[in-house]
Amino acid sequence: MFDNFLIVPHSLKNDLDADGNATGFQFAVRIADYRGCFLSLHNGYYIDCDGVNYPRELQRFEINGKAPRSFEELKSCCWEHWNYDDAGIVHVKKDGGLKPGKHTIGLQQSILAQYGYMPWDEAWVKNPPLPGSGGGAGKTETISIFEMTLEEGGAA
Amino acid sequence: MAIKRGVSLYSYQQSQFFGKLDWKAQIREVRESLGTDGIEIINQQLIRDYPFPSKEFIYDWRSYMARYDMTAVTMDVYLDVHQFRDHVMTHREAAEHLKNDIRLVAEMGFKNIRTLVLVPIDVIEMALPTAEKYDVRLGKEIHAPWPIKPGGHREKATKGMAAGINFNAVEEILELRERTQSPYIGLVPDFGIFQFAPSKVSVDYIRRHAANQDAVDFVLENAANYGHDELIDVVDEKFPGHGIPINSIDRLALHEPCCKPEDLKEIIPYIISIHGKFYNMTEIEGQPGHYEDKCIDYATPIRYLIEGGFDGYINSEFEGQRDQQDMGIEGLVDEVEQVRRHHEMLKRLSGET
Repeated sequence: MFDNFLIVPHSLKNDLDADGNATGFQFAVRIADYRGCFLSLHNGYYIDCDGVNYPRELQRFEINGKAPRSFEELKSCCWEHWNYDDAGIVHVKKDGGLKPGKHTIGLQQSILAQYGYMPWDEAWVKNPPLPGSGGGAGKTETISIFEMTLEEGGAA
Repeated sequence: MAIKRGVSLYSYQQSQFFGKLDWKAQIREVRESLGTDGIEIINQQLIRDYPFPSKEFIYDWRSYMARYDMTAVTMDVYLDVHQFRDHVMTHREAAEHLKNDIRLVAEMGFKNIRTLVLVPIDVIEMALPTAEKYDVRLGKEIHAPWPIKPGGHREKATKGMAAGINFNAVEEILELRERTQSPYIGLVPDFGIFQFAPSKVSVDYIRRHAANQDAVDFVLENAANYGHDELIDVVDEKFPGHGIPINSIDRLALHEPCCKPEDLKEIIPYIISIHGKFYNMTEIEGQPGHYEDKCIDYATPIRYLIEGGFDGYINSEFEGQRDQQDMGIEGLVDEVEQVRRHHEMLKRLSGET
């Protein structure tokens, strides 16, 4: 759960390339479970920003002091841990980034943590649940809504 | 022979999340405020860089536990069968995972492991020689809605967490223990098995998120009339778009404990430690300073534990915070106070002076 606290306050910024052009936005997140997880289990986010959906393919995750990785890359990080105490950074690709000012973000975390074998295990290997679809939502039962402000010049 | 008090640091997960209490502060709270020594931990909550913590972490842990004269009772470990993502973990892989946990547990000075109720019995058997070698007992959790004794009118569920249910989990453990004659096999009952009604904090949480309050009322009033899967179907049919997750329907539908307190009697010799699950400790009317959880029977099971000569720890496991994290910072519950109240109750019911 930790529903209303998944996104770290005041963490919304734009991502800039070497020339200073905004290529997307980022925010810091915490884990919704009461325990950390193997990174391989982290299956992405349902992200809605101002009514626009940003699917997993546009997301990258930055954790453990390493460069941002796609969720496809994270699948093979079977022994690397996302520690319970740590915030990770979600990077979302969006040409031009977000405009300064208020933004509404809907978020649901997908982590394929389980308590053992379940009937849908084989199905999840072949077709991992889509974040936001309900399955694999881990400890986020609902899509939580966050009102965030991107400060003027709020680049990373 | 006595009931000893401890705390699962699960109880302080929220304080840890917000950086209010790190594990050292949690240990001090147990020693200095609760006046006891028992510590249970969640491996992936406390151990930084699990499953490969630094040597520094291990030394720091053992040293700090020694400084406050604490006892490392039980570590709770998990079974994430999707860890490798390209296949479902095999039972042999799961056994290797458990063996790794056993070695880590021993290194940290714990005497016991709590395995999840869904860990297959052959996985436990494969890990048993390692447990014996490292002198770590394996206790399988008995967690609601799993019964101590199979039978009755229970039916196999196919939806939600209940789909994983194995009604014979306890029997399997007792059979393995009998066959191997190994004292390293046992059980970790969770007091949630004596929960007889949904907690107010859970109902309130679900109400705040339910699109249709009538659906919530319907489950609360009619759960006893339907089977598990049947209830979910009826709710879907009567209240299309109700948006209540299956897990929440299960929690609302709880109307009787899944275990009888007297069922404890036969398993007392096999109990490794106990989870003192609770959601909401409130003051007992007319008894200032005395507390209870209104939806979980503690008095009767504790009486049976005393009569049966149980010698071990009940470790507080406060779970009510997770239902109160959707109302802003000011709506968060005080975990420290809740655990203190729980220990007032444990002391009183177990006759500790």
